[in-house]
Parts: sequence; structure tokens; C-alpha cells
Amino acid sequence: MKEIGLHGRGGQGIVLSGEMLANVYFYEGYQVQFMPSYGAERRGSPSNAYVRIDEDKRIYSRYTVEVPDEVVVFNTSLLENIKVKENGVVLLNTSGDIKKTNTKARIFAVDANSIALSLSLGTPAMPIINTALLGAFCKAVGNYSFENLSRVIEDKIGKKADINIEAARIAFDKVREL
Amino acid sequence: MSKKIVIGGNDAIAYAAKQSSIDVISAYPITPQTSIIEKIADFISSGEMKTRFIKVESEHSAMAAAMGASIAGSRVFTATSSQGLLLMHEVLHWASGARLPIVMANANRAVAPPWSIWAEQTDSLSQRDTGWVQLYASNAQEAYDYMFISFRVAEKIRIPVMICMDGFLVTHTKEPVEIFEGEIDDYINIKEKRDILDVENPQAYGALAFPKDYMPIKMEQHKAVMSASDVFKDMSKKYADITKRHYKAVETYGKNDADIAIVAMGSISETAHYAVDILNESSIKAKLVKINMFRPFPKQELQTALNRAKHIIVFDRDISHGKGGIIKDEVAGSLGLGNVIGFVCGLGGVDVTEQDMVNAANDVINGKIKEDGFLWSEK
Repeated sequence: MKEIGLHGRGGQGIVLSGEMLANVYFYEGYQVQFMPSYGAERRGSPSNAYVRIDEDKRIYSRYTVEVPDEVVVFNTSLLENIKVKENGVVLLNTSGDIKKTNTKARIFAVDANSIALSLSLGTPAMPIINTALLGAFCKAVGNYSFENLSRVIEDKIGKKADINIEAARIAFDKVREL
Repeated sequence: MSKKIVIGGNDAIAYAAKQSSIDVISAYPITPQTSIIEKIADFISSGEMKTRFIKVESEHSAMAAAMGASIAGSRVFTATSSQGLLLMHEVLHWASGARLPIVMANANRAVAPPWSIWAEQTDSLSQRDTGWVQLYASNAQEAYDYMFISFRVAEKIRIPVMICMDGFLVTHTKEPVEIFEGEIDDYINIKEKRDILDVENPQAYGALAFPKDYMPIKMEQHKAVMSASDVFKDMSKKYADITKRHYKAVETYGKNDADIAIVAMGSISETAHYAVDILNESSIKAKLVKINMFRPFPKQELQTALNRAKHIIVFDRDISHGKGGIIKDEVAGSLGLGNVIGFVCGLGGVDVTEQDMVNAANDVINGKIKEDGFLWSEK
């Protein structure tokens, strides 16, 4: 079983992106479970969601993921509180010049904010970056197809699906490993 | 054609409601139940569901409206959680005493104070004596399936049924669920004939009963609730003929000749599958005894499941202050067993992992723990 953490702030679409990711893996034939962590949700406060996937076995865990195998970080101001397994995968939404220090994790970066804003997704104060990050994550982990991601974006987003698929496509192309 | 989609327990209840030919729904929103009635409201507004939705100002009124509609002959559904369920308490007795086949979903949530929105079963277990059949769904598929079975059971014996799901851990956790289309119609569209309001033949409901009338009525009611056991078996079997999923009041997993049996209900019984696997790999023979039906209490099924276990441990996500775990108390008490140790755990949504259960099991087997207590560690 693999556990994936999505970490951001209220309003960034963390819950929807977790649900979309679970559906993508479901279409890929995985056993999936999507577990949002609920609290007193407020715009701007930390928000987490978790996806568990397994190639064949049904998932029975009914508790919060503590240390995920892979994480998608929507907002790097939260980095201090995010845990990941030693040999895990980290995808960061950042425009900064991040340097890899002492970690065995594979680290990827993409400037999802700029991609979203270039397509008028959201506002400068709150760009809508979840689809861009799922596009970048698709490239980083390589275990789901862009086609299935597009299909899920169409299912879940409806009339703005095209522009979100475009954001995912650009992020897929631009994501880089540190 | 059936299809699998990724949804949570609340969605599953709403989808099942859509397919259950429900006439009337009256409900009041409360976290973590809200998304059930939001989804149902969507279905009704889009015309996918032809049900009268009654907006009410409280849960007490929700159940009162449900009663009225049910007395008039409607198939009725409602949903609530925690504080809402507690506010309904009086009306729960009225509904069961009036022998109304209402089906209700309850999102199990801790009881205030302190205020909490997270999973705990004290809310529904403290409605244990209201005369409702209680089923506990440990995943979204069970929640979906129990809806259909519940209407059939309720209407057969004219006793209301409560379907309980742990808040967030079942209600909001999304996973693949098989949703039926037409396949379920023949099963769910059977409605039993019963006495209903008739303006040509006026009758009083809930009238005064003198002692010699009251007691026979209550004995009759008890008999009806007890009969839910057999009726559930029957309706569950018929459901399995269509869906291939055959539910029992008590299910077991793991080794039959277990040294240690883990008893759990709701979401903890899901995670417990892993605990049993870990114990069996470590050469301790273990089994899971998963309670799906709490009322009527499945005494015989539990006896069969537990009679050979050397140690029995019960995980209660609930508490009766001054006594301990409610499930433990019922299991040990009704079976007259002395080798049962109870762990009160997971209150107010505290995580309970398979490793927590394995540690508890080992402590009991090694004699380190000899008495009931809390499962709690400062992390």
C-alpha cells in the first residue's frame, strides 16, 4: 500500500484534488481510499487530505495517515509540519530556487501559481492550482496516465475542465526534479 | 447495470435513498451527516428523485414529521448525528412504540461537551433502549447495502431501523462502491401492507394504556424487535441473491480456532482485519469478530463465534461513564464470559491503528493487562 498526502491551505482545493487523485488511481485499476482530514475548516488554515492506493488488496485502514510515502505541497509555508517517508517523493509548488539538502527523498518542483494565473485560474491572492499540481505529480510519480487525469478533471470540474487540463499539461511539461 | 464509483458512506446512503422509492424525508443538517441530505436535496431538485422533502427546525421535529408521514402510510427516511440524535431521543421511543418502519442513518459523532465533530459511537449506543434495530456499517459499501435491507426489515416487522456509520471515517472516506441501477428494483419496491391513517375509519395513536394493556403491548414490541434477527437473515439472503454480498449480524475473519478474538463494531472492525493478519503472522492465532447488528443483540451468533477463544478483547469507541465500554459490557454480560477484556479507545475521533490493537492483544496474552481500561498513549 502507498499513502499520498496533499497539504495546503483552506481554499486551495485540497479535498477536491485528493478526491480526483483517488479517482485517477481507481481508473488505473488500483484499490483506492480517499481520507480527508476534517477540522474547523477556514480559508487559509492548514488543510490536509490523504489517498491510499494498493495495486490489488482492499484497503482496511480507518485512521489518519501519519507519514505518507509521497506528498504534494501546495504551499511551502507549511513545509515544517509535513512528514514524508525517507525514500519518498515530494512535489513542491514553488517559484523559488530550492536546493536539495540532506534527504533521500526525490524532490520535484513546479511553479503551479504562475501556470494557474497565466490561464486566469483563480486570483493572484488565491490561484487555483490543484489540477496543475496533479499534472506535475503525474510526471513525477509516473504511475498514472495523463489521459486518466484528464478524464477525472472532466468528470469533476465540468465547464472549466478544458482550461484545467491545459494547466495540468503545462505543469506536466514544466515540472523538474531537484 | 451496476457500476463501481468512488464515494463515501454519506454519498452511498444518498444514492441508496434515491433508489429506495422513499415517499418522504424530513431532516435537519448536522456535521458529519450534512452531505447525506445535501446530496438528497440535489437529487430531488434535479428531478432524479421523486420524494417530498420536509424542512424542519430541529431533529425533534424531523423525527416527529417522519412519524406523521409514516403513520399516513409513507416510506420515510431521515438522517442525523450525535447532538441531533440525542435531541430526538424522546421521539425515537414514540416511533418504535407506534411500530413505524422508519429508516434513519446516523453519523456516529462524539457527544459534547467538550464540543467535538469526530467519530464516536456513544451517541447511538445511548439510544440502545429506544426499541430501534441498530446496524453498524464499517465501510461505504455496507452503508449502501444496509439501506435496502433496512427498509425491508423495518416494513416486515414494523420496527424502525437505524444505520450507524462512524463520522468521517466511514461517512466521508471515499472508496469504490458498487451502485446498482434497475437490479435492485424488484427487491426494494416490495412494500408490506400495514394499518395506516384512514379518514373513513378514524383511530387514536399513542393513547393512554392502563397497566394491564401497557405491558402486553411492550412484550409484543420486544418480540417484534427480537424477530428482526431472523428477518434480517432472510432479507439479507434475498439481497445476496441479487448482489452476491451476504451480510450477517456477526461476521468473522481469521483463524477459527483462535487463541484471541478481537471484537469490534464500525470503522475499528475494518482496521482490525490488519491486526488479525499481523497476529496470525506472528504465530498467535487470532480472529476478528465483527458486530454488524447491535439490536437485537446477536447473542447466539456471538456465542458461536467466541466460544472457543481463550482470550476475548473488545474495542469500544464509546463509553458509559461509571461502567466502561458498552459493547464489552454487553458481550461479557450476555454471554456470561469471564475472559473478556475491554478497551475504551478512539473517543472523539482519536485514531486507532492495527498496531494499537496488536499491542493490546499481546499485553492481554502475556498477562500484562488483566482488567478493562483505556487504550491511550501520549503521542
